[in-house]
Amino acid sequence: MKQIRLNVNGSSYEVEVNDNERLVDVLRDKLGFKGVKEGCGVGDCGLCIVLVNGRPVNSCLVLAARLDGEDILTVEGLGSAENLHPLQRSYIEVGASQCGYCIPAALLVTHSLLSKNKRPSADEMRRHMRSVLCRCGSYLRFEEAVKVVVGDE
Amino acid sequence: MNEEIARRLGEIEETRDFFVVGKKVARVDALDAVLGRPVYTADLITGRPLYVRAVRSTYPHALIKSIDFSKALETPSIKAVYTHRDIPGVNDAGSLIPDRPLLAYDKVRHIGEALALVVGEDLERVEEAVDQVAVDYDPLPVVSSPGEAMRPGAPRVQDRDNVVTHFKIRKGDVEKGFKQSHLVLERTYRTQHIDGLPLEIEVAYAFWSHDSILTCISTMQNPFDVYNKVAQILGIPKEKLRIIQAATGGGFGPKSDETPIDVSAYACLATLKTGRPAVSAFTREEAMTVQCKRHPFEITHRVGVTRDGRLMAWKSTLIEDTGAYVSKGHLVIGRATFHCTGPYEVPNIWADGYCVLTNNTMAGSTRGFGAPQSHFAAEMMMDELAAELGLSPAEIRRRNVLRVGSLTATSQKVDDPGLEICFQKALELTDFERRYGELKAQSGWPIRRGIGLALLYHGNTLGPEGDDFATVTTRVERDGSITVQTGLTEFGTGAITSLILVTAETFGISPSRIRLERPDTLAIPNSGPTVASRTTAIGGRAALDAALKIRQVIANVASEILGCRAEDLTFHQSKIYPKGQPSKYVSWEEAVAECYRLGLDLKATGYYIAPPTKWDPETGQGSPYNQYTYGALVTEVEVDMETGVVRVDRMTAVYDVGRAINPLGLVSTYESGSIMGLGYALLEHIIHENGRLLNPNLHTYIIPTSVDAPSRIESIMVESPGPMGVFGAKAMGEIPVVLPAASIANAVANATGVFIRQLPLRPDRVLTAISQS
Repeated sequence: MKQIRLNVNGSSYEVEVNDNERLVDVLRDKLGFKGVKEGCGVGDCGLCIVLVNGRPVNSCLVLAARLDGEDILTVEGLGSAENLHPLQRSYIEVGASQCGYCIPAALLVTHSLLSKNKRPSADEMRRHMRSVLCRCGSYLRFEEAVKVVVGDE
Repeated sequence: MNEEIARRLGEIEETRDFFVVGKKVARVDALDAVLGRPVYTADLITGRPLYVRAVRSTYPHALIKSIDFSKALETPSIKAVYTHRDIPGVNDAGSLIPDRPLLAYDKVRHIGEALALVVGEDLERVEEAVDQVAVDYDPLPVVSSPGEAMRPGAPRVQDRDNVVTHFKIRKGDVEKGFKQSHLVLERTYRTQHIDGLPLEIEVAYAFWSHDSILTCISTMQNPFDVYNKVAQILGIPKEKLRIIQAATGGGFGPKSDETPIDVSAYACLATLKTGRPAVSAFTREEAMTVQCKRHPFEITHRVGVTRDGRLMAWKSTLIEDTGAYVSKGHLVIGRATFHCTGPYEVPNIWADGYCVLTNNTMAGSTRGFGAPQSHFAAEMMMDELAAELGLSPAEIRRRNVLRVGSLTATSQKVDDPGLEICFQKALELTDFERRYGELKAQSGWPIRRGIGLALLYHGNTLGPEGDDFATVTTRVERDGSITVQTGLTEFGTGAITSLILVTAETFGISPSRIRLERPDTLAIPNSGPTVASRTTAIGGRAALDAALKIRQVIANVASEILGCRAEDLTFHQSKIYPKGQPSKYVSWEEAVAECYRLGLDLKATGYYIAPPTKWDPETGQGSPYNQYTYGALVTEVEVDMETGVVRVDRMTAVYDVGRAINPLGLVSTYESGSIMGLGYALLEHIIHENGRLLNPNLHTYIIPTSVDAPSRIESIMVESPGPMGVFGAKAMGEIPVVLPAASIANAVANATGVFIRQLPLRPDRVLTAISQS
């Protein structure tokens, strides 16, 4: 067991972890961030993506013990019901969520793209979003939501 | 429906514009999704439950000589190992046909079949213990394809003939039709296993609630199927069991079949025996192995046409691989055979559909339910006939398409112009005929472009596949807010939002005042299964019925207040007023409060059952469905002639939705089905090799990602109301997945000059086809 500090969604958490504990389990089971989903456990599907220092990371492939002191963003940190993030609002507006299961990851990946690139092209969006599988096939809705946020539509 | 209610329904439908139906509204569950709220089964687990994992067969066909789990029991923290002997009730988990044990006892019939359950405190230890269970098998010959299964003397998969169903269509005189034909063409088309692949994997959480009811929260489409089956497996009275559907991360069919029953039964069995909360969850590999897949088909068509392209005779053999247990295979073959000649009028038809058992993994319900396979073969056949006759794909369809007055393959009369409208629109919007002709003559290298067309008809809802009923329970609270509850489920389709819209429409209030409760077998009557794209159309009728019953009570009270006749009242924007006099109103809240003061009941259960459908099983003739959805899909592709890679550039999807209850939801449905269908056409294939699965994982089984999606999908809605669905709505949930394979394959033929008759159109297959032409 090792004591580490994780900065999740702007708050600091002291947490005891085993050396072999995955970030996804620590976030979900120890800290209660259930917005992080797991879909395969081997880095294929991207549902467990969170942002570590702003970059998308499959939390099923990362050991929590190696992230001592790092900044983590989960969907819970993006906005709240009273104060939705513009992307969350546009996802609702364009009908991007179907079964909803990939939406936390898709939102975070979209967010990471927009924080580096204010006006991504369709190609850039596609290449960036490729890391998240959506079986409902909402990919064009995700693009639509970005267009709404950057003010194209 | 009584006369008064029927009259009011007429008023809503005809005399004024819709208030919320057909307007752009957000889904009721969208906020939960974007906030990542803990609403799925795995998010709801608390404390330290026991974990349950299955021991699964490593042979596709073998006798079980013994199961030795003594070593597994020695693993620390393992509580129990259960085999078939430990099942207190009936050891059968077949969702419709009772042919499938929950835990195999004498024989395993497919790879991954469950034989035993290991229960323990710690998931990792449980996984170790699963590997410690020693099963002694006596391998049997593997029946790896329907071809083998149908051979005389083939080993039997079950104690019955390997052919489960022989489904027939007999119309006119097919031999005479061939004699009258100028051209007779015979072609065979093959489709593959795919996995519907809901991204949320099967998981169930069982516990004893305070009132001594065994409660199970799980991810599923049909809570009542799970409820009935699990109560029987556990051998407990139904009132002792409660099944709750948590938010469900994708359904696509597999979550209406076998695995939701299995995973719930595993968890419930452990809780029943130990008294402790228990969780059972599949791994991705497990899910991809045992989830019911889309049935592979081999379809042989022999079709005769006149010189000018009129269809004269159509003879078909459809062979379907349903795997080791029937699941829904006997029904899928029916839908596939009913639709095997495509949406065309053919005077003479002879079709035989066979549902066949093999030692492959089970196939069952997958979005489209036999229609994608059927349409792939029929629509490609039409293009092949056109090519032989020197007609354009549009021209041959124009000569045969189902119009008002045409007779379908089952001699059901068409009384709806939906297909003609969709067809025409698709041609116009894409300039199809000109583009097709130009691209046919192209000679560029290595990139070739192609445009493809396919048409659809899709018999609505269950038809011959089961009791097509629904219930919706609606309650108006004292403050005027509304609660709606139904056993019909949301798992991504958006259809439950349509029920809210129908309710809001009937009361003339905002959808934001309506709350949806989770499906819970303790609280609601059986609402039938959430399958066959029936929630909006059929469930909507039940929602309407419930709302109209309550509306009648409120109208009587409002009429007393306003001093006018109840039947003259309009419900609009939270006001109730005599028709045409919006200033003379009583507010919705006042009228509701008055009902409560008078002690009137503002709760009602709405019910709807579709008219029975009739057809003759010997000839297939009759009216198997109450209404049809129609559509046309034009796809534009790029084919790299050097690599064989096909890229879909643009899709123009035109569907006759009957009535667009929730247009924004429909756009999602159009795009969703189009992209899932693209995966079926180009990428996906669950590969069996002598009964063993080669790729039950997401790195070798490839589904479409954002880079595979078309650059543009035009979603065009045609509204030609049907006689059955609410406000004329037609079934839509599955429909957009039906045509992409046909439309893409036809576009590839336009680009390359080669018809590739086997799915998926992988680069190697495309290259081989090009090089052989």
